Amino acid sequence: MAQTQLLDEQDDGQIGECHVMVTVEDRTHPQTPPTGRTHPYQDTPPFSQVDDQPKDSKLRGFRRIRKNQDYVHITMAKSSISRLPSEWWKTGIAFIWAGLNLVLTTVMITIVHDRVPDKSVSPPLPDKFFDYVPRMEWAFRVTEVIGMILVILWFIQWLSLKYRAIVGRRFFFLQGLLYMYRMVTMYITTLPVPSMHMECAPKLQNNSHEKLQRVYQLVSGAGLSITGSHRMCGDFLYSGHTVMLTLTFLFIYEYSPRSRLWTVYHVICGLLSTMGVACILLGHEHYSLDVVVAYFITSRLFYWYHTMANNQALRGSPHNYLNRVWWSFMFSFLEKNVKLSVPCTFSWPISVPSVSFKNPCRSYSKVQSSREE
Amino acid sequence: MNKVASWSEDEVSLWLTDQGLQEYTEALRKYDGLALLNLTTEDFKKTPLSRVTSDGGRLLLEKIETLKIEHHMNGHTNGHMVLNHNGNVGSSAKAQRNGMANGFHKELVQIPMPEPVSPQFSPEWGKTAVALVYALCCFVFTTVVISVVHERVPPKEETPPLPDKFFDFFGRVEWAFTVCEINGMVLIVLWIIQWSLLKHKSIVARRFCFIVGTLYLYRCITMYITTLPVPGMHFKCSPKVNGDWQSQMRRVMKLIAGGGLTITGSHNMCGDYLYSGHTVMLTLTYLFMREYSPRRFWWFHWGCWSLCAVGVFCILLAHDHYTIDVVVAYFITTRLFWWYHTMANQQVLKETSQSNFFANVWWYRFFQYLESNVPAVVPRHYQKPFSWRSLHWSHVKYTRIDSD
Repeated sequence: MAQTQLLDEQDDGQIGECHVMVTVEDRTHPQTPPTGRTHPYQDTPPFSQVDDQPKDSKLRGFRRIRKNQDYVHITMAKSSISRLPSEWWKTGIAFIWAGLNLVLTTVMITIVHDRVPDKSVSPPLPDKFFDYVPRMEWAFRVTEVIGMILVILWFIQWLSLKYRAIVGRRFFFLQGLLYMYRMVTMYITTLPVPSMHMECAPKLQNNSHEKLQRVYQLVSGAGLSITGSHRMCGDFLYSGHTVMLTLTFLFIYEYSPRSRLWTVYHVICGLLSTMGVACILLGHEHYSLDVVVAYFITSRLFYWYHTMANNQALRGSPHNYLNRVWWSFMFSFLEKNVKLSVPCTFSWPISVPSVSFKNPCRSYSKVQSSREE
Repeated sequence: MNKVASWSEDEVSLWLTDQGLQEYTEALRKYDGLALLNLTTEDFKKTPLSRVTSDGGRLLLEKIETLKIEHHMNGHTNGHMVLNHNGNVGSSAKAQRNGMANGFHKELVQIPMPEPVSPQFSPEWGKTAVALVYALCCFVFTTVVISVVHERVPPKEETPPLPDKFFDFFGRVEWAFTVCEINGMVLIVLWIIQWSLLKHKSIVARRFCFIVGTLYLYRCITMYITTLPVPGMHFKCSPKVNGDWQSQMRRVMKLIAGGGLTITGSHNMCGDYLYSGHTVMLTLTYLFMREYSPRRFWWFHWGCWSLCAVGVFCILLAHDHYTIDVVVAYFITTRLFWWYHTMANQQVLKETSQSNFFANVWWYRFFQYLESNVPAVVPRHYQKPFSWRSLHWSHVKYTRIDSD
């Protein structure tokens, strides 16, 4: 009886609609009549609810579509090459690049310190911000505290990303590049101290032993005044503090989800970053020009790099002027095997019960699950 | 046999007789081809046709359908897809049973094939005018800011020139700045000539005006917020006017009239050091000239490059700007130029998206306004600026000449 029913329905199908019916060999279940009198799926065990949430819904969708028997499942061979390879050794190279530039910057600060004109000879340059806002003593400490908070937040966020290697590589490369540019601008023209309150350490004309000690002190104190390591003058254009504040904020914003809860986090970090930069100026520690140029260079470099990295269309295009920067060979070395824009996925280095962090990157989950097939 | 629609009444009755339907010849005496085609079953229910028909007109209607198919087949024999085509048309009524009701025919389906259109670059001189106004505003604003900053420059006795690495190595050369300005003027004249020979002048002019305007706007900001002292003791700054805005206006006008050049004697105000406007103009004209000229003119590119490089070097030789001014100017000019042209040449970057970071710049909306109708990379086509019919051009300089 079922057989005749099947024939009738097939006959209708051929006359009424123009469907292509293809049977695929790996189909384990027999063809069901469209009215769904018997459910072959009822024989299979129920799906587990805990993990593979998107797969579950897709199979449920399979069931729905199956009834009408008008879809074709084309099995794709799973590609063995991952499109977001880790390549920790490249991250190591980027780290060495950043470290090298930090040390060289420190050496440069020591050199430049000797060339800063004395306060009495060259008074501070006129600055519009300083004309309007008088100096506040505690401001620079606030900046450094905020900077440390942002760096710690970014570090925690970085640890919990899945594609740590790639993101870490980018951070180190950009930081190294920005410090390198800073070395150049500090060296070629030396600005005088921005304010009479600055106490510069005495100059050492040819005493290289002392200079090395200063370098070591600065590096170990991470260049912060709070630790008492930074008593040298001359590193004004452009401001390294602004670079760190802006860069950590840009990275925090870029590599975190975009949902409403996270927007609060973004706003907080943005406010912290802005406050930190404002406090640099409030403390009269840098000229306004230093801060503006630092912000400009940091943000442009960040956008430039990420546009080059995320737009595959640009990589082979002949009209890609972005390749004309001198560091494009370094870029292609680092990002050659990264074929996608890095999705926002979190994975804890230590396994935490997943109940509390159920699918945090909600807005990216659709994209993610289809990409990770 | 011509089309049914153009049949006369005689032809209709002749056809009826041929088909063996003489009973209708009398009733359909007044019917011509068109009326025949428009016969429906309703007509057979009314007099006079109801009297002569035996089957409600079914046979006749079927024959009319056959006629229609036949004529369509004869008329359209080249490549049109004919649905429900049944081969031998004059055969029996079974051929018409094709599942389509009410004689609804679809004899041919035309698949429109879009011809590949070459991208159209509409000139849109209005947008170019907006960009030009923007650039002029930025120039005037820069001049005003120079005049304001001049008042705040510390005198060279109080604040000596800052230590600069280049100045340590190279002593001052007096005539160097004149060389720089001459180079600048040569480059600008060459660029204007090249621009007038371009086919898509409007688009290129729009881009130039926008980029120049933005660069000068940035320059205003950097000049204003921190004032650097004069780079050398040789500078003769004109005296400060201290609030006398009439003489300030006069100074501004003089500067604009002289194009901001020292050669014309219009620029003896100090304070506009970071960053160097001369470097901006030299670099930008070179970048534009290289971009919008044929690739194989390598000698032209090298010539312009050397003019630009010599000009920039001479700025420093003359101790007229700090090294930092020149370096920052070069950096900002090149980055902005490449940024803008990458955005303009990639359609994917003209829309905001998650991966389009270039859309985060403040001038993105203005950019979209200017470049929204430019569909592709602007080709390097040249044409004569005026039609000189009287003159005889024997030697064609540019090979891609448009003869529109």
